[in-house]
Amino acid sequence: MSNIISQRWLLNRRHFLRGLGATVALPFLDVMRPLRAAATVADKPRRSVFIYIPNGVNGMSWQIPKAGPNFEFSEALRPLAKHRENLTVFSGLHHPNGMGSAHVCADLWLTGAKLDTNQRSARNSVSCDQLMAEVTSLHTRFASLELSVTAGTGQPNNSSTLAFSRDGVPLPAEDNPRTVFNRMFVPDPGGVKTEGERLKTQRSVLDLVLHDAKSLRRNLGSEDQTKLDEYLHAVRDVETRTERLESWLDVPSPVINKADADHFQRNISKAQAGDYYRAMYDLIVLALRTDLTRVVTYMSGTESNGLAIPEIGITQSRHQLSHHNGDVDVLARLTKSDVFLMQQLAYFLDQLQTLKDGDEPLLDRTMVLTGSGMSYGHSHSNANLPIVFAGGRALGFKHKQHIDYNRMAESGYKLDYEEWRSICGRPKDGDARLSNLMLTMLQKMDVHTERFVDSLGPISEIL
Amino acid sequence: MGVQSKSLGLIETQLSVIWTRSKPEILQNSHLTCFMFRLSNRIAFLTMFLVGTAHGVESPDFEKSVKPFLQEHCLKCHDENKQKGDLRLDTLPLDFVGLKASGHWTDILDRLSSGDMPPAKEARPKPQDAAIVVDWIATRLAEAETARHAKEERVSFHKLTRDEYVNTLRDLLGVTYDARDTTGMSEDPDWLGFERIGSVLSLSTSHIEKYLAAASNALNEALSLGPQPKQESVRWTPFEMRSTEGWMISLKEYQQRRLTEKVRNDIVPNNNATGTPGEGQNLKIPTTGEYVVRIKASGLYPQGGRPPRIQVFASDLDRILFERDVDAPEDAPTTLEFRAHLPAGTHIIRIMNAVSGPEPTAHSSRGNGAVFTSLKARRPWQLKLTDENYQPAWPILLVDEVEWEGPVVESWPTPAHQRIFGEGKGDAAHAKEVVARFAERAFRRSVRAEEMERYTGFVESELSAGKPFEKAVRSALLAILCSKDFLYLVEGNAESPATKLNDFELASRLSYFLWSTMPDEALLADARAGRLHEAETLRTQFRRMLADSRASAFAEAFPRQWLQLRRVGMFAPDKMLYPEYDDYLQNSMIAESTSFFREVLVHNASLREFLDSDWTMLNQRLAVHYGIQGVQGESMQRVALKPEDHRGGLLTQAALLSLTSDGTRHRPVHRGKWVAESILSRPVPPPPANVPAIKTAQATAPKTSLREKIAAHLEDATCAACHRKIDPFGLAFENYDAIGRWRTEETVRDGSGANPKIDASGELSDGRKFADSIAFKKLLVDDLDKFAAGFTEKMATFAMRRVMTFSDRAELQRIATQSKAQGYPLASLLETFVTSDLFQSR
Repeated sequence: MSNIISQRWLLNRRHFLRGLGATVALPFLDVMRPLRAAATVADKPRRSVFIYIPNGVNGMSWQIPKAGPNFEFSEALRPLAKHRENLTVFSGLHHPNGMGSAHVCADLWLTGAKLDTNQRSARNSVSCDQLMAEVTSLHTRFASLELSVTAGTGQPNNSSTLAFSRDGVPLPAEDNPRTVFNRMFVPDPGGVKTEGERLKTQRSVLDLVLHDAKSLRRNLGSEDQTKLDEYLHAVRDVETRTERLESWLDVPSPVINKADADHFQRNISKAQAGDYYRAMYDLIVLALRTDLTRVVTYMSGTESNGLAIPEIGITQSRHQLSHHNGDVDVLARLTKSDVFLMQQLAYFLDQLQTLKDGDEPLLDRTMVLTGSGMSYGHSHSNANLPIVFAGGRALGFKHKQHIDYNRMAESGYKLDYEEWRSICGRPKDGDARLSNLMLTMLQKMDVHTERFVDSLGPISEIL
Repeated sequence: MGVQSKSLGLIETQLSVIWTRSKPEILQNSHLTCFMFRLSNRIAFLTMFLVGTAHGVESPDFEKSVKPFLQEHCLKCHDENKQKGDLRLDTLPLDFVGLKASGHWTDILDRLSSGDMPPAKEARPKPQDAAIVVDWIATRLAEAETARHAKEERVSFHKLTRDEYVNTLRDLLGVTYDARDTTGMSEDPDWLGFERIGSVLSLSTSHIEKYLAAASNALNEALSLGPQPKQESVRWTPFEMRSTEGWMISLKEYQQRRLTEKVRNDIVPNNNATGTPGEGQNLKIPTTGEYVVRIKASGLYPQGGRPPRIQVFASDLDRILFERDVDAPEDAPTTLEFRAHLPAGTHIIRIMNAVSGPEPTAHSSRGNGAVFTSLKARRPWQLKLTDENYQPAWPILLVDEVEWEGPVVESWPTPAHQRIFGEGKGDAAHAKEVVARFAERAFRRSVRAEEMERYTGFVESELSAGKPFEKAVRSALLAILCSKDFLYLVEGNAESPATKLNDFELASRLSYFLWSTMPDEALLADARAGRLHEAETLRTQFRRMLADSRASAFAEAFPRQWLQLRRVGMFAPDKMLYPEYDDYLQNSMIAESTSFFREVLVHNASLREFLDSDWTMLNQRLAVHYGIQGVQGESMQRVALKPEDHRGGLLTQAALLSLTSDGTRHRPVHRGKWVAESILSRPVPPPPANVPAIKTAQATAPKTSLREKIAAHLEDATCAACHRKIDPFGLAFENYDAIGRWRTEETVRDGSGANPKIDASGELSDGRKFADSIAFKKLLVDDLDKFAAGFTEKMATFAMRRVMTFSDRAELQRIATQSKAQGYPLASLLETFVTSDLFQSR
C-alpha cells in the first residue's frame, strides 16, 4: 500500500539537493531563479492550494445564472471579479460517495471516499493533496502544510483537516499562525551544528523503534494490524522527513525580514475573523513564495467551527447561519458571510497575482481550489457544490468561464428558495464529479494517474 | 454451508435459507451462521437481538414488514434480470458485517431515508412503511458494527490519550508537559464523548514528531545534564505593566515626587479580554521549569455585585496561568500566589479583569499619562468608575506588583535523575541497568533481556561515537518514549492468542481506568508476582486506588466523557443574547456536573441521584446564575435544593442543558438526542439529507414557540418515525433556556403579541405521559434498572477502551443486577465491575 512512501524513503538524500548550490543568500523564488536557470520549464514548481468553506453557501446569492465565458459574477462571488481571467466557477459538481451521507462533507472533500458513517473508526482514504505531496516533497523542505481554523483532526465525520494519509489517517492541522511560522522559518537557536546533531539522534531513535515494531509486525503475519501499521508508517514517514531536513541543513532557512516576522509573532485572534484569515493566507503565500512547500490545505472553517465575523456584525457561527430555516434575515447574514469569505479569498489571489515567481505571477503556477462539501446547509444537502477553481494559467488552464453542469441554460435560474433546495438535493448530472477536477489537478501536478477515486476523466473544458 | 452462503436470496427456492434467519432450525444452513462462526462466540447473542433491539424495543419483523417492501418497491430494477446501479437485491446476503454487503445495505438505507429511492417515476411507498425498513436496516447495521469492532486482533494497540500521555510522562519523569499549549498536541477525537476508544484514536506523522519533541524536552528538564539553572526573579511595577508612553512620562514625575509607590495598575472589565488582540508584557524565561508567581492586588466592586476576577493569560501559549476573584479593599491589598510551568522563551503575558460587561472607561476623558492612585483621588476621568457616593460602580482590579521567581529546583541532580541513573560506574553494564529499569516502568511490564539489546546496543554505539555517558543513555530513553510499547497500551501477544488480560495488562487497565496514568510500584508488584488477577488482590488494589488522590482523574474524566461535556461552549452563546455568559460561568457549569459525579462516588450514593436529587454542587457564580441565595466562594459545595429551585439530578444542570444549544437558542431535538444517547444509551440515527425547511412564520403572525415549530416533525410520517422517539426527551426541559436558566415563557423575537408560555409536557413512545421535567424525571427513576444497565455499559466502554458488544451484555447485566438490591451504589458498582470476568477480558 505504501510502496511509494518506502521508495521515497530509499532515495539518497543527495538526490534532493540536485541543482542547489552550497549556500543561498535569499532563497525567495525570484532571487533563486538564477540557480535554477538550468532547469527546464517542466521542472518549475507546480503548486496546489485547497481552501474549504464550511456549511455550504446561500445558493440564491451564490449561483451564477449564465454559463460560459460571458457570465456575470453573482453577489457572493463579486469580490473575485478582478480575477475573472484567472478563474473558473463550477456549478453542479458533487461527490457520488457523498450523496446521502448528510453529515460527512469535509471528511471526503479531498478523498471522495465512501465513508461508513455508522463506523466508529476514522478510516478514510488518501486525499488528493497527499498524492501531490508525494511528488513535490522531493523538492521542498516540507512535504505539505495542513492548516485549519481548529487544530488537530477533529472527529470522524466532523473533520478539522482536509488531508488524509495513504492509510486514511487524518493529518492534524495547525490553527495558530505563529506556531506554523516558527516551525517553518525560525531556525534552531543552537545553530546548524546542534540542529544536525539533533536530527542525527532523531534518525537513530526512529530507526530503532521502527525495527522494534517491524519485528513484531513480522510475527503477526498478514493479519489485519491497522494500528500497528499506522504507527509503522508514521514513524517511517518522520524518518524520511528527518532525512530530508538533514539534507536541507546546508541550505539556510529563508530569511524573513523583521516586519514580516513580527506580523506573525503578534497575538492573532480568531475573534477578529478578517485579521485571522488574512494572517493565515499571508502564511500560505510566504510558504509558497519561499518554496518551503508546494501543497497546502486550509480549512477556513470546519462544519462546527465557522467563525463569527463581529467586524461586520455577524455574531453567529456559519453553522448557525446555515441552519437558517428559510428565515430571510438569517439568509441575508449567510450571504454577507459568503461575501466576506470571498473577499478574503480575493485578498489571497491578489497576492499570488502580484508576487512574482521569476517573470510570471506566483498564481500562474499555483492552482487554488476553493469550495464546500455541502451546498444547502440547512438540511445537509451535498449535490451542486459551490466550487471555484483559480490559477495555474501557465500550467495550461483555460479560465474565464462558468461551467454549469446543472445545464439550466434553457429554463434559466429562478434563484428562489425551492429551486436552490432542489438542485442541491440530487445531482442533475451524475457524471459531473468533483473527482474529475481533482484528477485534472493531479495530472497537472505530475502525479501519473488516470483515475482518482470515482473520476471519469479530466475536465476538458478547462484544458 | 459454503455454497449456500454465497447464493442466498429472495428467489423462491433459496428464500427460506437466508431471509428467515429468525427460525433457529434453518439457521445452521444460513449465511448468518457463517459469519457467526467467524466472529466466534462474541456474536452468539445476535440471534436474540435480531428480534429486538438492545433495550427491549420491538424491532420490525423482516418477513412481515421488510421483505414485502423490498419485493414491492425495489426488485423491479434490482433483481436477476435488471441490476440498475450494479445492485442486485434478491441475492444480497443479510450480511451486515462484511464490508461489501454492508456497504450495499448502508446505501439502501441512505437512499430510502433520503427519498432518493424508489425513483420519482415509480409509485411512492408509504412513508411509515419506508421508515420501518430504514429502522430495520439501521438496527442491523448498528449491531453488525459493534460485532465488527469486537473482532479480535492477536495484539491490540490502544493509544494513550493526550491527558494520559501527560500524566504518564509526569509520573515517569516528574515533569509537566504542557500538551494544550499552542506548540503541544491537538485534542483527541472522541466517539460520543469517549476520548479513549482505540479504533477512533489515530496516529500520524505529526503525532510522532510531537512525541519526539515532547519526550526530548521532558528528558532535558527531568535530567541534570548541565549545570544547575540559576534562580531568577523578575518584578513588575504598575509602570512596567502599563508601559505606555504617557505612563512613562508620569513615571519621571512620580519619581521626582517620590510617589511611585502610590501608583496602581487599574484594570476594568473587558479592557483586554481573552480573544481580542492586545499588547501584553514580555516575560523572558531562560530555563523551562516551574515558576512561582506572586501578585499583590485589590478588588473593588459595587455592593451586591461581582468582585473583579484576575486572569493571568500567556497569549503566546494560549494558556490561562491563573484566575481568581479578588475581594480586597483598596487599602489592604492581598497577595495571590500560584505556580506555573513555563517553557523557555519569551512569553506574552496579559493580566486581565475577566468579569464580563462593558468597558466603563471606554469614552472617558482619561489622558494618556493619567495614572491611577486611588478611587478617593476623585479625578474627573474617574467619575465613570464610581457612583455618586464615590463607591465603585464596576468591578475594578488594582494590581500593585507581579513577581516571577524560578525555576524551582528541588535538588540537583534532580530526583528523577537520581532515580533513573541510580548508582553505577557509567559504563556499558550501568547503561544496561538504567535502560532496563526505565523501560520496565515506561512499558508498564517486565522486559526481556533480548528486547533490551536494541536499546543497550544503541547506547554503546553512542558511547563509542564519543558521547558522554548520560547523553548516550538519554538517547536510548528518548527511543523508549517513542516506542510502541510506551505510546500504546498493548494487549495480547503474537505467539499465543489470549482472550484474557495478563497481570501487567490488567495493572495498566486498572490504573488508566481509575488514575488516567501508569500503574504505581505497588500495583506493578502484584502484577509481577502474578496475583493481581485474583479477586481478593484486585479488590484490595481497587479500594486502595479509589482512595488515592489520583482517583480524582476518574472522577473528572469519566463524567466529562460520558456526559460529552466538552461540547459545553462549543457553539459559544451569542454575546448579544447572553451577555452574562463568560468563561467563569462555563467552567462553573462543567464543574457542577463533574463534582456532582464525584460527590456520588465519594459517598457511594445511588445511581438514582444522577436522575433526580434534592441537592447539587454549586459555587457562588453558578448559584447566582440559578437564582439560588447564600452560596459563597469559588469552590463547588454541596447545596440542598428546594422545589422552587427547579433543579435536581444531572438533567437540570446548566452544563447539560446548554451543551446542545447552538449559541442562540435551546434545541429540544438535540437535547432529546443527548438524553437518548447519554442517559438512555439508545443510539440515534443521523437525520436524512435534504429535509425541507420548516416554514417560518410571517413577521406579523403571533409568536410561536420552538415547540410548535418542530411539531411539524411529527406531522410528516418520515420524520415522525424517529422524532416521536427523540423529541419528548428534550421537550421535557423546555423550562430551561439555552444557557440553562429557568423560565416560564419563551422569548421569541419574530412575530407579534405575547411570548408563548412554556409547555414541557410530552408522551413517550410507550404511551406514558408526563407534564413537565419533574414528571419526566420520575419516569426515568421508574426505569432505574434500564439506566443502570446503560450506565454500566458506559463505564465499561471507558475502562475497556472499546464499544460494548452483544456478547458483553450478559456480563454487563449481571454486574448491574448485583448492586440492584442495594439500590445501585456507585462505588460498589465500580468494584463489582473491576472484579468481574469482563474487566479482565480483552
